Amino acid sequence: MDRKKHRIMMVSDFFYPNFGGVENHIYYLSQCLLKLGHKVVVVTHAYENRSGVRYMTGGLKVYYVPWRPFVMQNSFPTLFPSLPIIRTILIRERITIVHGHQAFSTLCHEALMHSRTMGYRVVFTDHSLYGFSDAGSIHMNKVLQFTLADVSQAICVSHTSKENTVLRSGLPPEKVFVIPNAVDTAMFKPAVVQPSRSEIVIVVISRLVYRKGADLLVEVIPDVCRLHPNVRFIVGGDGPKRVRLEEMREKHSLQDRVEMLGAVPHAQVRSVLISGHIFLNSSLTEAFCIAILEAASCGLLTVSTRVGGVPEVLPDDMIILAEPDPGDMVLAIERAISMLPKVDPQVMHHRMRELYNWHDVAKRTEIVYDRALKCPNQNLLERLSRYILNIIC
Amino acid sequence: MFWRTLNERNPNRVALRLALHRRRLTQVLSAAAVPAPQHRRFFLFPVSRTQKLGRFSSALHLRWLLGTDPEAQPRKKPETSKLLVMDHHLASDSPQVRPRWRKVAYGGMQPGFDDNHTDESFLEGMVMNANVVRRDMLKVMLDSVSISEYLCIVALVVLVWTYTLESTIDESRLLCIDVSLLVLGFLILLFTQEKISLSILVHHYFLNISFFIMGLYVLAPIYQTLTRSISSDSIWALTVSLLVIHLFLHDYSESTVNAPGALKNPALTSCISVNASVVASVFIASRLPSRLHVFAIMLFSLQVFLFGPLVTYCIKKYSFRLHLCFSISLMVVTLRFVYMLHCLLFVLLLSLLVFVNVVCPYWLIRIQEYKFEINGPWDEAKLCFAITD
Repeated sequence: MDRKKHRIMMVSDFFYPNFGGVENHIYYLSQCLLKLGHKVVVVTHAYENRSGVRYMTGGLKVYYVPWRPFVMQNSFPTLFPSLPIIRTILIRERITIVHGHQAFSTLCHEALMHSRTMGYRVVFTDHSLYGFSDAGSIHMNKVLQFTLADVSQAICVSHTSKENTVLRSGLPPEKVFVIPNAVDTAMFKPAVVQPSRSEIVIVVISRLVYRKGADLLVEVIPDVCRLHPNVRFIVGGDGPKRVRLEEMREKHSLQDRVEMLGAVPHAQVRSVLISGHIFLNSSLTEAFCIAILEAASCGLLTVSTRVGGVPEVLPDDMIILAEPDPGDMVLAIERAISMLPKVDPQVMHHRMRELYNWHDVAKRTEIVYDRALKCPNQNLLERLSRYILNIIC
Repeated sequence: MFWRTLNERNPNRVALRLALHRRRLTQVLSAAAVPAPQHRRFFLFPVSRTQKLGRFSSALHLRWLLGTDPEAQPRKKPETSKLLVMDHHLASDSPQVRPRWRKVAYGGMQPGFDDNHTDESFLEGMVMNANVVRRDMLKVMLDSVSISEYLCIVALVVLVWTYTLESTIDESRLLCIDVSLLVLGFLILLFTQEKISLSILVHHYFLNISFFIMGLYVLAPIYQTLTRSISSDSIWALTVSLLVIHLFLHDYSESTVNAPGALKNPALTSCISVNASVVASVFIASRLPSRLHVFAIMLFSLQVFLFGPLVTYCIKKYSFRLHLCFSISLMVVTLRFVYMLHCLLFVLLLSLLVFVNVVCPYWLIRIQEYKFEINGPWDEAKLCFAITD
């Protein structure tokens, strides 16, 4: 069936040259959509002196709109002054669908609002989980309700994320599609020669912040090192909690058993991963953890906390889940160590190739775009009534 | 197709779809939270009050009732989902059995299901109002007595300040008041703390208090000349604002008051409130004519503001009835003195006490109906151990 070709504008504050889940998602999805024959344009804010129009691999056109990031990589929230540039890009590229990413991005919200004003069909992808009770979340949810009152379709990266988004925004669940992220299995291949299993290496790569469970690591690592003399840790990543990990290392004299690498550039993540046998993820909240996919693609057995969307990510024989409690995590690591002889990295890698594929994600997103284009075009009064209903409720 | 037939079979699901169609978030959640009958019990509650308020708030009321069920548990119905799946199969006419929908993200699109398929297990893990405390009107009113007790104490302090500034009370009488208050405080402490013995009292409290009094006496000349260049109007304005701040930020739960030995972290707001009261006392003291006046009034104010909470906490801990009697007598005494001072102030104080004791508890209980706390698998995990840096 010859599908209609769309002209898609991806808009978000988070894109290359920053590295992260959202950035990777936009990049890979755009590349796969380009291969399917659609045209993709990315709009983001300027990064240092990278401003203007750039072309990336495959003809991906990126508009680095000359605004500086304001706080936490977000542009300054201007309600209406962003209209001229968005309108120019929309008309010049003859866009048919606007796809916004990440609820935290102010540029995304503004672009979606202006696109709807001009009558374009809009799709929104949410990548994170938010709570309901603290001041920041309440504000975020209010803004999200405003934007999503008028969106054509929405995409979430996991089923837990879909439940969270539906509750936060009041969208009907039929409007929300669940299309998970995927992993570039061509880049994350296991090592040709496996590291020896006489000494078991556990790899941790994450930002060392509270949210990613760095405090759990501080409790878990000494216990595991004490119980299993042949286990070694490699900790990659940097952040405010690095000091606590260094202190833990000093206190328990684990300098030769815990190696701290500091911030690991994205290109070297694979080489760090293939030097290990087990990947440990201790985050306290995750909508969908791509790090786990990368580790599984490199043939590592994963031990993770049972939070958010993590239980949905991998089949039960490739991941061991634990409650976010140090005792439970130590038991899970023990189970992983006992399961290790049965694990074949090449087999795991081939399985990951079947389970996760960016081309599959692009095809499913195409279905969402086709559905979005079929949505009826509503006039201003009907749209306003939806906004008002959402504000009252 | 069988999504719709399944709905007609189950009236709760019909309600859910209607609510979704109308995009009423609150009704979505109340409809979604209506559970299978074997897991919850409905409370019988007089409905006449809610009928006046309308259907919308009765939906909210129903949700509050369901949400504050003390046995609230996440709805996990693995056995009923199997039944629903069997219903799926029964309802469909196709001969082949399509595989069950699984809540997983791997493996691409699940065969036979769209990506926006919403399963019956949607929002299954959501728990509502898990930590909400059900409040009883009488208990809230009794608890609010401590707030009005403290209000009366502050009113009495302001009274004494006014009389001193008008020279109705002279310094010797003020000193007598100070000494009697000190002795009274010690007696109450001795009486209410069973574990305390006379020797601990002497060593711990008495010594500290004497150092404190000596320090105040030595520093009295400084306080006297502190605000000489500031006009009186500014002083009155500042004092009033500082006292208002002090009352607002005061720690009425008395979590920072401690028996000797316990160490707790005081909250920032309670530190600010103590500072505000001390600064207000200093301002008032600086308007007085002689050094002895200044010393006497400073001693009085600081005694009440710094040690008053400890004394009231000890009374409350010892016996609630004693606390109640003490508070009510304090309120009566305060109202009488304020009446003697000025009629309008009396009316203001009386209305404030009525507001705090009667109107606020009623208002709180009414608003509790609308409390809506959502918890679920998407919440950030709470660490069960304390982070010691």
